[in-house]
Amino acid sequence: MDELRLLFRYEFIQNAVLAGLLASVLSGLVGTFVVVKRLVFIAGGISHAAFAGLGICFYLGLNPLIGAVAVAVVAAVVLAWLGEGGAGRSQDAYIGILWAAGMAVGIVFIHMTPGYAPDLMVYLFGDILTVTRNDVYLLASLVALVLLIMMLLYKEFVAVAFDETFSRVQGIPVRLLTMLLLVLVALSVIMLIQVVGIVLLIALFTLPPVVALMLALRSFTLVLLVAVLLAMLMTSGGLAGSYWLDIPSGPAIVLFGVVIAALVRIAVWLRSRLRSGVPGM
Amino acid sequence: MSVLELGRDCMLEVRGVTFGYDGEAVLQNVDLRIGQRDFLAIIGPNGGGKTTLLRVILGLERPWWGQVHWYHRPSRGRIGYVPQFSTFDRNFPLSLEDAVLMGRLGQRGPLRRYHREDRLAVARVLERLKLADHARSPIAELSGGQMQRALIGRALVAEPEILFLDEPTASVDAETRTVLSALLQELNTRIPVVVITHDATSIAAQVKQIACVNRRLWYHGSGELTNEQLEEAYGCPVELIAHGVPHRVLGEHSHSHHGH
Repeated sequence: MDELRLLFRYEFIQNAVLAGLLASVLSGLVGTFVVVKRLVFIAGGISHAAFAGLGICFYLGLNPLIGAVAVAVVAAVVLAWLGEGGAGRSQDAYIGILWAAGMAVGIVFIHMTPGYAPDLMVYLFGDILTVTRNDVYLLASLVALVLLIMMLLYKEFVAVAFDETFSRVQGIPVRLLTMLLLVLVALSVIMLIQVVGIVLLIALFTLPPVVALMLALRSFTLVLLVAVLLAMLMTSGGLAGSYWLDIPSGPAIVLFGVVIAALVRIAVWLRSRLRSGVPGM
Repeated sequence: MSVLELGRDCMLEVRGVTFGYDGEAVLQNVDLRIGQRDFLAIIGPNGGGKTTLLRVILGLERPWWGQVHWYHRPSRGRIGYVPQFSTFDRNFPLSLEDAVLMGRLGQRGPLRRYHREDRLAVARVLERLKLADHARSPIAELSGGQMQRALIGRALVAEPEILFLDEPTASVDAETRTVLSALLQELNTRIPVVVITHDATSIAAQVKQIACVNRRLWYHGSGELTNEQLEEAYGCPVELIAHGVPHRVLGEHSHSHHGH
């Protein structure tokens, strides 16, 4: 316990924990919509496309996160437009192109940047211990923005996720909401890049919601809450694991999440076996 | 043909609509009028364009040619729409109650929360549909018939001015059929009801008009179609429609038609 208290005196530890908790809110909220609307591949495309903006800003000597935000939002809008029939049935393929092209542009610009580029690995695989206090403030304001939009349009978002066609008949601007959701995905992606990196962030979008969906079926709001709590458990537990076991924080968070998911899946399976009352048991 | 005076008894009119997907017309020059007290069955073979016609009427698709004209356009959120329930993600985390509540979405408008009166409307509808006992159940645990009634409930809480149902009787239980049949009859005393079905027997007693869609549309106001019209449109067991409608006998389906 004393060791823990000592650890929390360090600002970088405080920043890491705060960043993890803030990212968890988004992971649970936005991730649940990503999972139920089957946007996982799109989220992957947006996050990898964001690497282009990151690389360009790195080259120009600007804050790489600003470039990542800009490119991610543009990618989200383009993908939403492609999804509306702009590209026929090949949205899937275009996501793949965006995915690879974004990475390629990012790598080229980082390569052209004079001098050593030590931060590349950080963005790809995340290092939550490098998060600064300013990053935390940026994260907090983005979280506040996402929360506000979600609260204002909550019933519309849920309705569109459940039944797009019915929502359109009801006069809900489904296309606009879908685009807005993808923009929220893009903003969330940037925050998750800080925590687990581009390559691993899809885990934070999928693991907490998937586990939450195993546990709750009665209420969408409950699923969101459970997903946020699970994401917090994942990030803080992973962070602790990375400290005790001396392994990188990004993979530690992801692997801890995988272990939680596996345990919950087994527990749910066992419970359903017991409930069905296998004869002779 | 039915004598509908344009603009007075007519709620909406489909005028010369041609529409399709990927450059292939699914509907060709379709005309249809729906009157204020119509109970219209849209029948036709699978892939004949029944659901596509409904999507065009609902404004979900923009026709290549022609138009859909509403003489009395329902206010926002007042078009009742019951989709095919087989197309749903049944594992979506929602209680029956919350799913039905979405029917109030259009009236409540964005940035507003649901009110108490919305929840009361839901409770009344669930009672009417014999679903009150399952209000808190997750939709994943409902039977097919219960789910179908839930979707009808969602359309009804909107207090619709016209009701469209896409295959409402496909694979549902006897209780649902009974509830549905009485409900639609009662609704039809106030609003037009349009049912898309491949199985017209289940609702035949209420049907006043029949439209047969197979790329083109054949309409009959009195629920009678000539053999020639049916054969041209169909090539499938049309004699079903006559069962249970003894006063409105359709010509025996000739079994001699050859493959189309």
